[in-house]
Amino acid sequence: MGNCWRGVLDLDHVTACLQHRHTRSTIPTPRSYIMPPRVAKPVQRKGPAFKPPRPIKSPAQTANTTTTNRASGANAARSAPANKKPTAARPKAQPATTIISSGDEDEGESEDEDILSLSDRDEPMDDASDEEEQRALPPPDMPRRDPITPGLLALLLQQGFDDPKIGIQRGAMLLVEEYMRLFVKEAVARARYERNVAKKSGVTDGFLQVEDLEKLTPQLVLDF
Amino acid sequence: MATNAAEEREEELKSALWYSIGQYIDEETIEQNINTTPQFIGALTELVYSQIENTSRDLETFAKHAGRKQITMDDVMLLSRRNEGLETLLRQKMDEIIASDGRPPAVEKKAKGRPAKGKGKAKAKQ
Repeated sequence: MGNCWRGVLDLDHVTACLQHRHTRSTIPTPRSYIMPPRVAKPVQRKGPAFKPPRPIKSPAQTANTTTTNRASGANAARSAPANKKPTAARPKAQPATTIISSGDEDEGESEDEDILSLSDRDEPMDDASDEEEQRALPPPDMPRRDPITPGLLALLLQQGFDDPKIGIQRGAMLLVEEYMRLFVKEAVARARYERNVAKKSGVTDGFLQVEDLEKLTPQLVLDF
Repeated sequence: MATNAAEEREEELKSALWYSIGQYIDEETIEQNINTTPQFIGALTELVYSQIENTSRDLETFAKHAGRKQITMDDVMLLSRRNEGLETLLRQKMDEIIASDGRPPAVEKKAKGRPAKGKGKAKAKQ
């Protein structure tokens, strides 16, 4: 949870983090092992497991179930501690049934259901925090700039010429600028693509790496 | 000594290029919500540097092949001869440049060049 504060002193972000932490803390610890770190920042997952007391809606109800379970014999009593959790977590868990044998099965199902609903709740939460981060970024209203400043490109071209007397027209120079702009833009776009592919196959962060560039360079150079 | 100076010059240009590309990448990352490692920028700089070297050599060769001492837009267009999408984009840009110039740069060229070249230019414009 310390990572929430890392580098970004933005109120929006901080509140998002706090909300994030809040919702996350209601999830029992094992869930974080079930769900691999699919988020861009795996660090978020590493926080110490904070396990607050879960809201227990009706203590009488739980007591009820345990008593009925105890009555059902050793078999039901063994499964009782596992079943207690979902019953407590869901306020609308079915009341202790009179038919104990089928009620036991139902409770097993309800636990599965609970896992599903928990993981379901997990997903939009991650997305929401991502959106929150995106919104915290400044709007892209700055002027477009060239990846290579025109004067620099002229110098670099000059460097490449064997014949120092060769000249280049102004229009041609502008066209070369456009060409190199497209080249860099394409390289970044392809690196992004490579990163997305890598993200799908394994656990990585969202940083564009040199290996992405290594993968895309042959085709890029062939295309340009 | 001479090689030393050349190397130094190259290093200077490369660092300038690194800076320039770094600035560009910074903006791109903010805009597109991505992150890059510094190594990525360095590698990209190397890639762009060698690409510029190749480009300048190509352009020089094209111009020489046409018997000119000046690189024209047509030479640059030849760079995109293997990539149709790129050619379309560059042609658009070329039209823009010509339009903004008012008069095609063929005027400058005609002053220096031979009539054959002028014809070639006119053909390309259509």
